[in-house]
Amino acid sequence: MIMPILEVEHICKSFHQTEVLKDITFSLEKGQAVSIIGSSGSGKTTLLRCLNFLETPDQGIIRVNSETLFDANDPSTRIESAIRKKRLHFGLVFQSFHLFPQYTALENTMLATELLAKERPDYKAKKKDIHEEIRAQAEALLAQMGLENRMDNYPHQLSGGQCQRVAIARALALKPDILCFDEPTSALDPELTGEVLRVIRNLADGNTTMVIVTHEMAFARDVANHIIFMDDGVIVEQGAPSQIFGHPAEERTRQFLKGYMGTGHF
Amino acid sequence: MGQISEQLPIVVESLNIGFLQTLKLFFVTLTGSFPLGLVIAFGSMSRFRPLSYLTKLIVWIIRGTPLMIQLLIIYYFPGLVLHNPIWGSGEAGRFLAASVSFIFNYACYFSEIYRGGIQSVPIGQEEAGLVLGMTKPQIFFKITLLQMIKRIVPPMSNEIITLVKDTSLARIIALQEIIWAGQAFMKGSHGISGAIWPLFFTAVYYLIFNGILTMLLGRLEKKLDYFR
Ligand SMILES: Nc1ncnc2c1ncn2[C@@H]1O[C@H](COP(=O)(O)OP(=O)(O)OP(=O)(O)O)[C@@H](O)[C@H]1O
Ligand SMILES: [Mg+2]
Repeated sequence: MIMPILEVEHICKSFHQTEVLKDITFSLEKGQAVSIIGSSGSGKTTLLRCLNFLETPDQGIIRVNSETLFDANDPSTRIESAIRKKRLHFGLVFQSFHLFPQYTALENTMLATELLAKERPDYKAKKKDIHEEIRAQAEALLAQMGLENRMDNYPHQLSGGQCQRVAIARALALKPDILCFDEPTSALDPELTGEVLRVIRNLADGNTTMVIVTHEMAFARDVANHIIFMDDGVIVEQGAPSQIFGHPAEERTRQFLKGYMGTGHF
Repeated sequence: MGQISEQLPIVVESLNIGFLQTLKLFFVTLTGSFPLGLVIAFGSMSRFRPLSYLTKLIVWIIRGTPLMIQLLIIYYFPGLVLHNPIWGSGEAGRFLAASVSFIFNYACYFSEIYRGGIQSVPIGQEEAGLVLGMTKPQIFFKITLLQMIKRIVPPMSNEIITLVKDTSLARIIALQEIIWAGQAFMKGSHGISGAIWPLFFTAVYYLIFNGILTMLLGRLEKKLDYFR
């Protein structure tokens, strides 16, 4: 049996009195894409934020490559200074991009990598080479996103679809083990979703390990190896796309998918 | 008319000296209140309630009362009430008292502008930085700071222009700034009395100085126009 790259066990999260995540457990193998679907307020964003250490779960364990990054019962995994490094296992692409407005597409893609490179022991000696390497990598990523002519543009000069592709390049630049997407096309005009979905599809074809929260059912079915359906903070059902979309076992899943029939999303 | 052209060099020299004092007060105020304002801003945003309430109370009092009263109280209170004239006598003491009043007053105004600036940068910017493995200081200096500066330049410009004119309030404690110098000619300074035209001249000094400032601040605003 293959060891999963990501293991999430019994994650619980409450805000004040509201339980938003109730005992979430799933795993993901390297090179696979899992898609999380579910109605609004079901806790999808909160789950991704927990994986990226933007929220701290109340209960549960997160493991990457068998290394325990977070265990609610082990205070040593909560040390603030170590969390920064742990975040680097994950990348997160936000619904509304959150590009840095004062930097060009290329600078957005390079910034974090450059700051990280300053921590390398050989940084002072090889400053120039390292910088060139980071630049070349960022340019290659932007080209891969189809943005070779947009590298020197600022975010406000780009369309929503272009911004989101820069955001994807920016996340990829740090070579995360697992790339997370939170409804990457929900903030876009309908005619711009295609270019972003195409980029994600290419990443899936290149065996990028991904967790994709999306409302685009046809896309989820097509791209993901595994589907998780969430409702009200629990995983109601998970399985292969053909199973979830073809033969959902749970009534709640059927009801949810029915809502998408004939809307063009499916 | 002949009389004025004779008096002009004397008046200009006197006004220049006064204006120098005005400039000094202006720059000392900015130098002190820029950083102090940031400290007050962080104080009022503190999660430690007593600190944030206390700073908010101070800001409310300082912004809610005339600067002229603050000047008078700060200058006279130690000597008259505490019998401990900490400011010393003479021009140097008056300048010190004026500086303290102005720095404190303007720091309170700036703190509110800073606070608005910091809070107007969307939380998503910080989160994007965190997710990319940046440290909190890196996020502040590389991401938040410039966006904050861009947002506060216009309101800060307003305050700075107001400060130029407010420096004239220091006249109330007889600081020998430019209005004091101009007014002196009404009362018989340098053998010139009853002359009101030097006061018009002082207005020109303010106009020119504010003109230059407006231009420089406008340039800074333009410079930050390259992003949104
Ligand atoms: N910081 C917070 N404080 C309080 N409640 C929160 C917070 N964040 C999320 N919630 C609540 O948690 C629940 C789940 O929110 P979440 O954003 O994870 O849902 P979602 O599945 O991503 O929904 P959507 O499809 O609308 O994006 C919602 O009821 C929301 O109001
Ligand atoms: Mg969401």
